[in-house]
Amino acid sequence: MGNVMSASFAPECTDLKQEYDNCFNQWYSEKFLRGLSMENECSKQWYAYTTCVEAALVKQGIKPALDEARKEAPFENGGESSDAK
Amino acid sequence: MVLWYKNNHTYDKDFRTVSLAFFNRYPNPYASHVLSIDTLSRKISPAGELCTTRLIKKTGRLPQWVKPFLGKISDSWIIEKSEVDIKNKELRTYTRNLDHTRIIQVEEFTTYRYNAQSGETDASSKVKFSSGFNVGVRNRIERWSHTKFDENVKRSRLGMAFVMEKLEQRRQIL
Repeated sequence: MGNVMSASFAPECTDLKQEYDNCFNQWYSEKFLRGLSMENECSKQWYAYTTCVEAALVKQGIKPALDEARKEAPFENGGESSDAK
Repeated sequence: MVLWYKNNHTYDKDFRTVSLAFFNRYPNPYASHVLSIDTLSRKISPAGELCTTRLIKKTGRLPQWVKPFLGKISDSWIIEKSEVDIKNKELRTYTRNLDHTRIIQVEEFTTYRYNAQSGETDASSKVKFSSGFNVGVRNRIERWSHTKFDENVKRSRLGMAFVMEKLEQRRQIL
Protein backbone atom coordinates (compact mmCIF):
# COMPACT_ATOMS: atom_id res chain seq x y z
CA MET A 1 0.00 0.00 0.00
CA GLY A 2 1.09 3.52 -0.67
CA ASN A 3 0.81 6.38 1.73
CA VAL A 4 -2.64 6.90 3.11
CA MET A 5 -2.27 10.63 2.78
CA SER A 6 -1.15 12.55 -0.27
CA ALA A 7 2.18 13.86 0.94
CA SER A 8 4.39 16.76 0.00
CA PHE A 9 8.08 15.99 -0.62
CA ALA A 10 8.69 18.36 2.29
CA PRO A 11 6.95 16.95 5.38
CA GLU A 12 6.47 20.42 6.84
CA CYS A 13 4.32 21.36 3.81
CA THR A 14 1.99 18.34 3.85
CA ASP A 15 -0.75 19.94 5.98
CA LEU A 16 -0.74 23.09 3.82
CA LYS A 17 -0.86 20.90 0.71
CA GLN A 18 -3.91 19.06 2.03
CA GLU A 19 -5.73 22.32 2.65
CA TYR A 20 -4.90 23.58 -0.80
CA ASP A 21 -5.78 20.29 -2.53
CA ASN A 22 -9.17 20.14 -0.78
CA CYS A 23 -9.95 23.68 -1.87
CA PHE A 24 -8.76 22.98 -5.41
CA ASN A 25 -10.81 19.79 -5.78
CA GLN A 26 -13.93 21.62 -4.66
CA TRP A 27 -13.33 24.54 -7.01
CA TYR A 28 -12.35 22.31 -9.94
CA SER A 29 -15.30 19.94 -9.76
CA GLU A 30 -18.02 22.33 -8.64
CA LYS A 31 -17.04 25.50 -10.45
CA PHE A 32 -14.38 25.22 -13.14
CA LEU A 33 -15.80 22.12 -14.83
CA ARG A 34 -19.24 23.68 -14.84
CA GLY A 35 -17.95 26.86 -16.42
CA LEU A 36 -18.91 28.83 -13.32
CA SER A 37 -15.46 30.18 -12.51
CA MET A 38 -12.54 31.08 -14.71
CA GLU A 39 -10.50 32.34 -11.83
CA ASN A 40 -8.26 30.06 -9.83
CA GLU A 41 -9.67 30.49 -6.37
CA CYS A 42 -8.06 29.12 -3.20
CA SER A 43 -5.45 31.90 -3.31
CA LYS A 44 -5.08 32.02 0.45
CA GLN A 45 -4.35 28.28 0.71
CA TRP A 46 -2.19 28.47 -2.40
CA TYR A 47 0.00 31.24 -1.06
CA ALA A 48 0.71 29.43 2.20
CA TYR A 49 1.41 26.13 0.45
CA THR A 50 3.57 27.45 -2.39
CA THR A 51 5.66 29.58 -0.02
CA CYS A 52 6.43 26.45 1.98
CA VAL A 53 7.24 24.37 -1.13
CA GLU A 54 9.46 27.01 -2.76
CA ALA A 55 11.49 27.37 0.44
CA ALA A 56 11.93 23.60 0.67
CA LEU A 57 12.85 23.28 -3.02
CA VAL A 58 15.85 25.56 -2.62
CA LYS A 59 17.44 22.87 -0.45
CA GLN A 60 16.94 20.13 -3.05
CA GLY A 61 19.61 19.19 -5.57
CA ILE A 62 16.94 18.83 -8.22
CA LYS A 63 16.26 22.59 -8.41
CA PRO A 64 18.42 23.43 -11.50
CA ALA A 65 17.00 20.55 -13.58
CA LEU A 66 13.52 21.46 -12.44
CA ASP A 67 13.90 25.13 -13.37
CA GLU A 68 14.97 24.08 -16.87
CA ALA A 69 12.07 21.64 -17.24
CA ARG A 70 9.53 24.20 -16.09
CA LYS A 71 10.43 26.38 -19.08
CA GLU A 72 9.67 23.62 -21.57
CA ALA A 73 6.42 23.61 -23.55
CA PRO A 74 5.85 19.91 -24.25
CA PHE A 75 2.36 20.25 -25.70
CA GLU A 76 3.47 22.56 -28.49
CA ASN A 77 5.55 19.99 -30.31
CA GLY A 78 6.60 16.93 -28.32
CA GLY A 79 3.32 15.06 -28.44
CA GLU A 80 2.96 15.53 -32.14
CA SER A 81 6.52 15.25 -33.38
CA SER A 82 6.98 13.27 -36.57
CA ASP A 83 8.67 10.25 -34.97
CA ALA A 84 5.69 9.92 -32.64
CA LYS A 85 3.45 8.63 -35.34
CA MET B 1 18.54 5.86 -29.35
CA VAL B 2 14.83 6.52 -29.10
CA LEU B 3 11.93 4.12 -28.68
CA TRP B 4 8.23 4.91 -28.81
CA TYR B 5 5.34 2.92 -27.40
CA LYS B 6 1.67 3.67 -27.85
CA ASN B 7 -1.39 2.56 -25.99
CA ASN B 8 -5.12 3.35 -25.89
CA HIS B 9 -7.65 2.73 -23.21
CA THR B 10 -11.27 3.66 -22.54
CA TYR B 11 -12.54 4.53 -19.09
CA ASP B 12 -16.22 3.95 -18.56
CA LYS B 13 -16.48 7.32 -16.78
CA ASP B 14 -17.34 10.89 -17.58
CA PHE B 15 -14.79 13.66 -17.95
CA ARG B 16 -15.39 15.04 -14.47
CA THR B 17 -14.51 11.75 -12.81
CA VAL B 18 -11.52 11.00 -15.03
CA SER B 19 -9.93 14.42 -14.78
CA LEU B 20 -10.54 14.66 -11.05
CA ALA B 21 -9.01 11.20 -10.66
CA PHE B 22 -5.97 12.36 -12.62
CA PHE B 23 -5.36 15.21 -10.18
CA ASN B 24 -5.90 12.88 -7.21
CA ARG B 25 -4.30 9.72 -8.52
CA TYR B 26 -1.68 9.51 -5.76
CA PRO B 27 -1.66 7.87 -3.36
CA ASN B 28 -3.22 4.63 -4.56
CA PRO B 29 -2.39 1.00 -3.78
CA TYR B 30 -0.84 0.47 -7.23
CA ALA B 31 1.66 3.30 -6.86
CA SER B 32 3.44 2.54 -3.60
CA HIS B 33 6.69 3.74 -5.18
CA VAL B 34 5.29 7.29 -5.36
CA LEU B 35 6.41 9.20 -2.29
CA SER B 36 4.95 12.64 -2.90
CA ILE B 37 3.30 14.99 -5.36
CA ASP B 38 3.36 18.77 -5.19
CA THR B 39 1.75 21.47 -7.28
CA LEU B 40 4.32 24.03 -8.39
CA SER B 41 2.15 26.27 -10.51
CA ARG B 42 -1.42 26.49 -11.65
CA LYS B 43 -3.02 29.07 -13.86
CA ILE B 44 -5.71 29.60 -16.44
CA SER B 45 -4.40 30.42 -19.90
CA PRO B 46 -5.88 33.19 -22.06
CA ALA B 47 -7.65 30.39 -24.00
CA GLY B 48 -9.35 29.30 -20.78
CA GLU B 49 -7.33 26.15 -20.19
CA LEU B 50 -6.28 25.13 -16.71
CA CYS B 51 -2.50 24.63 -16.80
CA THR B 52 -0.79 22.81 -13.95
CA THR B 53 2.82 21.88 -13.23
CA ARG B 54 3.50 19.31 -10.54
CA LEU B 55 6.56 17.62 -9.06
CA ILE B 56 6.48 13.92 -8.23
CA LYS B 57 9.02 12.02 -6.16
CA LYS B 58 9.44 8.27 -6.56
CA THR B 59 11.67 5.71 -4.93
CA GLY B 60 14.47 4.50 -7.17
CA ARG B 61 13.24 1.78 -9.46
CA LEU B 62 15.83 1.83 -12.16
CA PRO B 63 16.95 -1.49 -13.60
CA GLN B 64 19.80 -3.51 -12.17
CA TRP B 65 22.08 -2.91 -15.16
CA VAL B 66 22.02 0.84 -14.59
CA LYS B 67 23.64 0.53 -11.17
CA PRO B 68 27.26 0.48 -12.34
CA PHE B 69 26.65 3.83 -14.01
CA LEU B 70 24.83 5.46 -11.15
CA GLY B 71 26.29 3.93 -8.05
CA LYS B 72 23.82 4.11 -5.24
CA ILE B 73 20.43 4.92 -6.66
CA SER B 74 18.30 7.05 -4.50
CA ASP B 75 14.95 8.60 -5.32
CA SER B 76 13.98 10.10 -8.62
CA TRP B 77 11.99 13.18 -9.54
CA ILE B 78 9.35 13.57 -12.24
CA ILE B 79 7.85 16.74 -13.66
CA GLU B 80 4.23 16.62 -14.77
CA LYS B 81 2.48 19.21 -16.90
CA SER B 82 -1.20 19.17 -17.73
CA GLU B 83 -3.85 21.21 -19.54
CA VAL B 84 -7.59 20.93 -19.09
CA ASP B 85 -9.67 22.15 -21.99
CA ILE B 86 -13.26 22.18 -20.75
CA LYS B 87 -14.72 23.31 -24.05
CA ASN B 88 -13.59 20.09 -25.73
CA LYS B 89 -13.58 18.03 -22.55
CA GLU B 90 -9.98 17.16 -23.07
CA LEU B 91 -7.09 16.72 -20.66
CA ARG B 92 -3.54 16.64 -21.98
CA THR B 93 -0.76 15.42 -19.73
CA TYR B 94 3.01 15.14 -19.98
CA THR B 95 5.54 13.64 -17.61
CA ARG B 96 9.29 13.16 -17.73
CA ASN B 97 12.05 12.27 -15.31
CA LEU B 98 14.28 15.11 -14.13
CA ASP B 99 17.29 13.16 -12.98
CA HIS B 100 19.29 10.24 -14.39
CA THR B 101 18.45 11.72 -17.79
CA ARG B 102 21.84 10.88 -19.29
CA ILE B 103 21.10 7.21 -18.71
CA ILE B 104 17.50 7.22 -19.74
CA GLN B 105 14.74 9.72 -20.25
CA VAL B 106 11.15 8.57 -20.19
CA GLU B 107 8.52 10.98 -21.50
CA GLU B 108 4.84 10.20 -21.47
CA PHE B 109 2.14 12.08 -23.35
CA THR B 110 -1.43 11.13 -22.53
CA THR B 111 -4.62 12.70 -23.83
CA TYR B 112 -7.95 11.99 -22.15
CA ARG B 113 -10.88 12.89 -24.37
CA TYR B 114 -14.54 12.61 -23.46
CA ASN B 115 -16.72 10.89 -26.02
CA ALA B 116 -20.21 12.39 -25.76
CA GLN B 117 -21.76 9.60 -27.85
CA SER B 118 -20.54 6.76 -25.65
CA GLY B 119 -20.39 8.74 -22.41
CA GLU B 120 -16.90 7.33 -21.89
CA THR B 121 -13.45 8.85 -21.78
CA ASP B 122 -10.74 7.67 -24.16
CA ALA B 123 -7.15 7.81 -23.04
CA SER B 124 -4.37 7.65 -25.57
CA SER B 125 -0.76 7.42 -24.42
CA LYS B 126 2.56 7.71 -26.14
CA VAL B 127 5.75 6.99 -24.27
CA LYS B 128 9.18 7.94 -25.52
CA PHE B 129 12.34 6.31 -24.14
CA SER B 130 15.54 8.14 -25.01
CA SER B 131 18.97 6.99 -24.02
CA GLY B 132 22.48 8.20 -24.65
CA PHE B 133 23.74 4.64 -24.61
CA ASN B 134 25.35 3.14 -27.65
CA VAL B 135 24.16 0.22 -29.72
CA GLY B 136 25.84 -2.30 -27.44
CA VAL B 137 23.27 -1.95 -24.69
CA ARG B 138 20.38 -1.24 -26.99
CA ASN B 139 18.79 -4.68 -26.62
CA ARG B 140 18.86 -4.48 -22.87
CA ILE B 141 17.24 -1.07 -22.93
CA GLU B 142 14.62 -2.22 -25.40
CA ARG B 143 13.70 -5.23 -23.33
CA TRP B 144 13.63 -3.23 -20.14
CA SER B 145 11.65 -0.30 -21.53
CA HIS B 146 9.10 -2.55 -23.15
CA THR B 147 8.50 -4.50 -19.96
CA LYS B 148 8.50 -1.28 -17.99
CA PHE B 149 5.99 0.27 -20.32
CA ASP B 150 3.55 -2.65 -20.09
CA GLU B 151 3.94 -2.78 -16.33
CA ASN B 152 3.47 0.96 -15.89
CA VAL B 153 0.44 1.16 -18.16
CA LYS B 154 -1.25 -1.62 -16.24
CA ARG B 155 -0.47 -0.18 -12.85
CA SER B 156 -1.46 3.36 -13.71
CA ARG B 157 -4.79 2.17 -15.11
CA LEU B 158 -5.50 0.16 -12.00
CA GLY B 159 -4.53 3.16 -9.90
CA MET B 160 -6.77 5.52 -11.87
CA ALA B 161 -9.68 3.06 -11.69
CA PHE B 162 -9.21 2.73 -7.93
CA VAL B 163 -9.26 6.50 -7.43
CA MET B 164 -12.32 6.88 -9.70
CA GLU B 165 -14.27 4.35 -7.66
CA LYS B 166 -13.33 6.16 -4.49
CA LEU B 167 -14.39 9.51 -5.93
CA GLU B 168 -17.72 8.13 -7.05
CA GLN B 169 -18.38 6.52 -3.69
CA ARG B 170 -17.65 9.80 -1.96
CA ARG B 171 -19.91 11.62 -4.37
CA GLN B 172 -22.81 9.28 -3.59
CA ILE B 173 -22.38 9.81 0.13
CA LEU B 174 -22.31 13.60 -0.14
